[in-house]
Amino acid sequence: MVTVTEPTATRGEASMIRRRRGGRPGRRGSRRVKAAPYLFVAPFVLVFAAFSAYPIFFALQLSFTNWHGAGALEVIGFANYRFLLTSPDFWQSMATSGALWLLVVPAQILLALTIAVALRKARFRGLFSAALIAPFVTPLVAMAQVWIILFDQDFGAVNHGLTSLGLPAVGWLTTSAWAKVTVALLVLWRTTGYAVILLMAGLSTIPSDVYEAARIDGAGAWQQFWSITVPLVTRTLSFVVVIGTLTVFQLFAEPYVVTGGGPFNGTRTAGLYLYKHITNSDLGLGAANSMLLVLMVLALSLASIRLLRSREDS
Amino acid sequence: MSTRTGTSASVRLGAAGRYGLLVVAGVVSLAPLLWMMASSLKAGGDIIARPFSFDPGQFTWENFRSMLDTIPIGTGFRNTAIVVVVKGALTMIFCPMAGFAFAKYAFPGKRLLFGTVLTTLMLPTLVLLVPLLLEMSQLGWVSTFQALILPGAIDAFGVFWMRQVIMAIPDELLDAARVDGAGELRIFASIVLPVIRPGLAALGVLTFINIYNDFVWPVVAVNDEQHQTLQVMLSALAQNIRSGQLGADWTSVWGQLLAASTVAAIPVLIVFIVLQRHLIKGVMAGSLKG
Repeated sequence: MVTVTEPTATRGEASMIRRRRGGRPGRRGSRRVKAAPYLFVAPFVLVFAAFSAYPIFFALQLSFTNWHGAGALEVIGFANYRFLLTSPDFWQSMATSGALWLLVVPAQILLALTIAVALRKARFRGLFSAALIAPFVTPLVAMAQVWIILFDQDFGAVNHGLTSLGLPAVGWLTTSAWAKVTVALLVLWRTTGYAVILLMAGLSTIPSDVYEAARIDGAGAWQQFWSITVPLVTRTLSFVVVIGTLTVFQLFAEPYVVTGGGPFNGTRTAGLYLYKHITNSDLGLGAANSMLLVLMVLALSLASIRLLRSREDS
Repeated sequence: MSTRTGTSASVRLGAAGRYGLLVVAGVVSLAPLLWMMASSLKAGGDIIARPFSFDPGQFTWENFRSMLDTIPIGTGFRNTAIVVVVKGALTMIFCPMAGFAFAKYAFPGKRLLFGTVLTTLMLPTLVLLVPLLLEMSQLGWVSTFQALILPGAIDAFGVFWMRQVIMAIPDELLDAARVDGAGELRIFASIVLPVIRPGLAALGVLTFINIYNDFVWPVVAVNDEQHQTLQVMLSALAQNIRSGQLGADWTSVWGQLLAASTVAAIPVLIVFIVLQRHLIKGVMAGSLKG
């Protein structure tokens, strides 16, 4: 990132020097030029300071206190963290998010990459892309209602279809294992098109003569895919994995609306568990939980990038 | 000769497989949406008894009529519109402005500020939930429009993205305007903004969709019906239904729920259909985010 920033800074400086030498009349002009960037960033900085920076530091402070929303802050050291790290509920929420990650991210990578490769050489690309990304723009809450209705055990269309094919009906929302699948399907349905578009952007940077050369060397389609396409989109792939990881570990609205975290807490994700602290007014605990979640998400993102990069090197 | 026909057959097979896959993916993407809309027009019993048969001759507006009687959906739309317009305007004006400062000026503190922008991009939004809610209650802003609008307005992603877009403008263009005596704000408004119009359009579509669909923060920040956005209202309705407040037989309100979901999805789908090229460009630009 720094390498990207550096040249602009120097270019900006250079043009500023030019401007000063250019002899604009009086000091007023140059003072105005100096003040301008501060005025331009001021609204952003104000909103950022008030509603991002301050709350983060506040949360960090709160995480070391026992606070329920009123009265003085009582500092209790690492007790919140100790409580969470030894609480089966906390670990269950993490395990639920982990299970959802396993259900969503590998399938998404596989699907999105296959579709993106197919889309690359296809006609009507615009039409297909539009159809694929449509779920991504739909209001989640609205689609969650549709999901509840489609996946209803007794009267839902999905089970209706299954039984008419002679298959057994599934307790999509009534067993804690299948409820995870139902939520995962909603996430996959809504976000895979987005991953496809990202991967398309990555694929479009691969020059076609690379494939040409491989074909001349006698590489088959599968070989081309595995030894050209995959390594060359590793950057985009790791981006897709990171986005997917962030999405799954912050998953809140999907289980909140579709399952309410049930049945038997089977879909109580890390995000929903965090929300429980808010509704219980255990705010110190909630803040500590937020911090643990950030650490977890950062660690997972970095690990996924590492893993994919090591493939790139080999 | 024989290898050639072999290749072309396999190419043709490959093409068939490719289009087959794309058609299936497209159908799976659109089916839930189309099913929602078509079923919202069906009589209640038919949604359950014949979920996959659609006869336009049998379509009825009954679900929409009874939905409008039960849900103050007009209030939801009004609240969402207020938030979309104000928060969207803040984003569309001040993100390019800050992006301009980061792209085209050298000023003390720039690196620190920009570093902060980049760090914020990595931060999960859920972290802010607890402290922001407390901040709102300290300010007395719980269940107000300020609470819905200000947190998350002028977001770091928009600033970062606009910086990338504005960096592509040649400095000479700006310097020429300065020589002509244009002030910095004038340069921003009459040179930078027109030049980056495609980027602005993409930012606009993404911003509209994000704010319109936003759920996590609105559901936490607002407790009263007067300020509920459309999405929060829908989810509250679903929960009431699940806990049996609207009637013991929950399948009897499926039609209403589908009608409400359709009404909630249509504005964003219209924006999407009209501006989808900008959206796809925007998503692709978003991959620069890494």
